[in-house]
Amino acid sequence: MTPTRRPVRIDTASPDQQGCLIFADGRLVAACVQLGVEHDPGLAGKWFLEHGFGRLSDCEQPVFDDLDAAERWIVAHLA
Amino acid sequence: VAAKSWRIQRFAVFALLQINTEYLASERFNPGKSGKRSAEAVVRRVLTQAGSVRVAAKNDGEAQSNTTASEPVRASFRAGPGALETERERLVKKLESIGDLGAAEKAALRHLPMLVQELADAEDIVADGDRPSRCCLVLDGFVCRYKLLQDGKRQILSFHTPGDVPDLQSLHLKTMDHSIGALTPSRVGFIAHQVLRELIDRFPALGNLFWRDTLIDAAIFREWMVGLGRRNAHGRIAHLLCEMSLRLKAVGIAREHDFPLPLTQAELADALGLTLVHVNRVLRDLRLREVVTIESRTVSIQNWRRLVALAEFDSTYLHQDARRIT
Repeated sequence: MTPTRRPVRIDTASPDQQGCLIFADGRLVAACVQLGVEHDPGLAGKWFLEHGFGRLSDCEQPVFDDLDAAERWIVAHLA
Repeated sequence: VAAKSWRIQRFAVFALLQINTEYLASERFNPGKSGKRSAEAVVRRVLTQAGSVRVAAKNDGEAQSNTTASEPVRASFRAGPGALETERERLVKKLESIGDLGAAEKAALRHLPMLVQELADAEDIVADGDRPSRCCLVLDGFVCRYKLLQDGKRQILSFHTPGDVPDLQSLHLKTMDHSIGALTPSRVGFIAHQVLRELIDRFPALGNLFWRDTLIDAAIFREWMVGLGRRNAHGRIAHLLCEMSLRLKAVGIAREHDFPLPLTQAELADALGLTLVHVNRVLRDLRLREVVTIESRTVSIQNWRRLVALAEFDSTYLHQDARRIT
C-alpha cells in the first residue's frame, strides 16, 4: 500500500485549518490537521488525525510529529 | 469518673491509631495498576476526635500558577486556622443539601473519627480489586474514580470534591470494581467501615441520607452516560461545568459565577471521552463566545443561561434542595 498526500484547508471551527488528505492506493483514508499555537506547547505544530475513514474511522485520534509519522502509522494500521 | 473516662478515651485513641497505622502499612496503594501512581503518601496529620490529636500539620502555601493543560496544583479551598473543621463541615453541608439532618446527627458527623492523610497528585486512594476496610472523605482537593483499559487508556468515571465520600459503596461491595485516585494534591479522611456501621446503627437517619447520596451518585452516572453517548463536545463540557458549579455551591466552595477547577485538559478529555485537541478547541470557543472562561484553574461563568442551553442542563438529577444550600 502506497500512501499519497494532498494539501487542503479544513474547517475545524478553530484556527487549525492547515490540513492534509492522505490516500491509500488512491482512496481517502485520513484527514490530518496541523495544530496551531493555541494548543498546549507540546502539541502545537504537530499533526492531528482529524478524521479517519474506513478502518481508521473508529480508532483513536493520535497526534503525530510530522506527516511522515502519520503515514507510517496509517500504513501500519491498514496492514 | 472524669479520669477514668479520659483514660478510656486515650486508650481508644491509641487503639484507633494503631489499627489505622497497621492498616495503612498493609493495604497501601497499588502502583503496579496504573504505573505512574507510585508516590508514597505521608501521614501529615492524624485526627481522632475533632481537634484532640494532631501531628505535623502541613503548611498549605503552595502558589497556584497559570491555567492550562498540564500541571495539576492543589485545589485548596482552605482558609487558615480552623480549616480542618471547615473541611469536615463540608460533609455536613453536602448531606444537608440533599436531606434533613438533626442536631445529633450533625454533631456525630462533626466528631466522626478519621485518619487524615495528605496525598500527592496522581496517587491512588484505593485500587481496582482492593478489598478496603474504610471509606474516604474528601477534605481538600480533587479526586476521581476511574478505570484503566489494557492499552493504558483511562476513563474517568466521576470527579469528587470536598464533602464527597466517593467509595461509600465499599461498605457493602467488598471488592473495588474501579480505582479512586487524587487528581491534585489532596487531603482525605479515612473512616473505618466499622465506625460508619456504628454511626448508621446509632443514627438511622444518617443511613437513609447515605443511601440517598448513593442514589444521587447513580443519577449522576446516568447523566454522564447520556453525555458520553449522545452529547456533542460542547454539550459534554458545558454539562460538566454546570454540574460542578452546583455541586461545589452545595458545600460552600463555588461562588455565584466562579469556582475552582484545577483539572488538566487531559483529565477533562479522559472524563468526557474527547481528545485533548477537542477539549482545547471547545474551551477556546466558549471563551470567545463569552460563555465561560477557565483561567488560573478557576472557572468563570459569563453567561449561565447560554451554558445551561448548550448543556441541556436540568439539575433535577442532583436532587439538591436549594433552600438548604447556604
